[in-house]
Amino acid sequence: MTTESVVALRGVSKRFAAHTAVKLLSLDVPAGSIYGLLGPNGAGKTTTIRMIMNILVPDEGTIMLFGRRSTGRDWSPRIGYLPEERGLYRKMKVGDLLVFLAETKGMGRRAARTEARRWLERLGLGAWEQQKVDALSKGMQQKVQFISTVMHRPDLVILDEPFAGLDPVNAQVMKDTVVSLAKAGTTILFSTHIMEQAEKLCSAICIIARGEKVVDGPLADVKRNHGGRHLIVALERGVGAADRVFKDRSLIAKADEYGHYAELELAEGADSQRILEALLQAGVRVTRFEVAEPTLHKIFIDRVGPEAATAPASGAEANG
Amino acid sequence: MGKVWVVIRREFVERVRTKWFIISTVLGPVLMFAFIAVPLIMARRGTRERAVAVVDGTSAGFGQRLAIALDQAPAIRATWLPTPIDQIEAAADSLVEMIGLKVIDGFVIATDEAVEDGRAEYRGANVSSPRDMETLSNLIEEAIFTERLGRAGVDAAVVRQARIPLQFRTLKVAGSRTTSSSGEGSFILAYVLWLLLYMGILLYGVNVMGSVVEEKSSRIVEVLISSLRPFELLAGKIIGVGGVGLFQFAIWGVFGAIMVDRRELVFRALGESVPGGELPAFPEVPLGTVLVFLLFFLLGYFLYAAMFAAVAAMTGSEQEARQAANAVVMLLVLPSVLMIGILNDPDGSMAVTLSLIPFTSPIAMPVRWAAAEVPTNELVMALAFLALALAGVTWIAGRIYRVGILMYGKRPALGELLRWIRAA
Repeated sequence: MTTESVVALRGVSKRFAAHTAVKLLSLDVPAGSIYGLLGPNGAGKTTTIRMIMNILVPDEGTIMLFGRRSTGRDWSPRIGYLPEERGLYRKMKVGDLLVFLAETKGMGRRAARTEARRWLERLGLGAWEQQKVDALSKGMQQKVQFISTVMHRPDLVILDEPFAGLDPVNAQVMKDTVVSLAKAGTTILFSTHIMEQAEKLCSAICIIARGEKVVDGPLADVKRNHGGRHLIVALERGVGAADRVFKDRSLIAKADEYGHYAELELAEGADSQRILEALLQAGVRVTRFEVAEPTLHKIFIDRVGPEAATAPASGAEANG
Repeated sequence: MGKVWVVIRREFVERVRTKWFIISTVLGPVLMFAFIAVPLIMARRGTRERAVAVVDGTSAGFGQRLAIALDQAPAIRATWLPTPIDQIEAAADSLVEMIGLKVIDGFVIATDEAVEDGRAEYRGANVSSPRDMETLSNLIEEAIFTERLGRAGVDAAVVRQARIPLQFRTLKVAGSRTTSSSGEGSFILAYVLWLLLYMGILLYGVNVMGSVVEEKSSRIVEVLISSLRPFELLAGKIIGVGGVGLFQFAIWGVFGAIMVDRRELVFRALGESVPGGELPAFPEVPLGTVLVFLLFFLLGYFLYAAMFAAVAAMTGSEQEARQAANAVVMLLVLPSVLMIGILNDPDGSMAVTLSLIPFTSPIAMPVRWAAAEVPTNELVMALAFLALALAGVTWIAGRIYRVGILMYGKRPALGELLRWIRAA
């Protein structure tokens, strides 16, 4: 490991009266990464984040922040946290509210006032500083809450389902801001059940389901290790012989043939190397043999199983 | 501590800025004046005139003299009905009908028995009014008294002159010295203290409850708890809201002091003449009473605010919280219901007990203190019990609060609540 872990969990479990929400979870969030905590609804994402923030206390295991065994509250000046359940004081003026929230994180009053103004301007809410939160639309309130998460210049920003309930325009603003924060060196940990988003944003991920880790690591590694389920094959000679190999259901579940080119889906438990061997033994000359990179979505469905993927975004694929 | 201060300031500033604060600061004294003055005025002014008939079955003209005496009294209009003794019941029947038609309020039956044995009878629609009956019986008694004096050959004027009404001045002795407070004055002071304590603790306690419910139902509590310890948040909230209460008392105190100081101007402005050139006696408010009041208000408020906060943390909405808070409010109402008993006998066993029990002492002790001499050891004991209870209640409430603010859904059963309290 060359990079320091900003957040590290080791064997963390949390049980509630009726069920185990998180079971022996270990993960590392590298410094400077955009880290996605992925999983279907009810997988334990929010519980994990709440334990990192010390809102819940784990039943077992350790949580390290910035390389030390300490809790989220001790680091509150360095952490920005956007909970899944959004909420603001509805009767407070926007500016006063932002200053108050920054103060609870240890920021000075005057600095907070300046920073609040700067961020409100940046997100197009400059005219609303003296208005009550009540007067703002829902989207604007979400922006205000996002500002309160990042305005004290934290080193680590934790966002629980940050894109939930945002319209496309605000989602874009949110994404751009997250990316620019990451470029400035802020570590971002966010949870989502929408894989397409995570695929584009994340440099590292952890997929959890039913409270347990399914897979984690840098996104590229996860994809590489998962690989092998899709093959692209191009041939020069022996189309007929290749055809016989493609028909072998113990190796290939589905073949999409174009004469000298084929897209293959591996059979359950089949090894891509065995297919290459079989093709060569059959006297086929292979000019291209590529293990195609699966989408995160595909990985998610493959690893978690369609029955666990209750999120609407993955429902269609799971049935198809 | 720095973070607690941030919470205190928010609670204080946001509250003092509201219309609610301004209105209650202005209306508070008005309401309090109304609470005290209206019953007094009502009592003094009396109500409408009573129409009373005197059924005179007497033989020596006493009935007529009684009718005249009643008619001369304020608020009574009396009619004389000379009736032969055997016709009295018939007259009574027709008068009962007139009462039904609201022509008269009632009638007195006077016979020779009245003067001889001191017996008279009144039938009317207003017999349930103690004041009316007292007035009437006093007047009849006076008339009989005069009549009997006349028969005994004593000049009524001489007797009247001999009977000087007593002007009874009562002065409170406190701390081995006579104060300028009259008995009535210290009664009013005790009454005002009770009202301030009861309303203050209840209103500001409920305010704390509302604040907890707001944070919980708006879900902002999760953000707050990620940077503040639950106890920091709770302490800041209770202190901040309590500060608003003290601020309000300070405003009232300063204005009240100015009003008392300039009461001549105030009376003149109200168009009242200053009676006999002498200003009405105002109860002296000794510093000790102010200190006892503030001390018990603060401790009592902390005690109740902590309970209200715990109740709010257990529930999810304002209505649910109000319902659940009824038990807490009952504790607060108890000494208020028994207030008259405490004032009538400030050293009685009920008053002493209520002023020592932690949940009732915040109201009972200052009231007793204002009304009578309280031994120092009782004051110290009450404070010690209250402080102990406060420590215990805060500990339990803090634990319920810590778990409750992040729990949504069904209100916890007692068993679950105990688990919250035990949770490390």
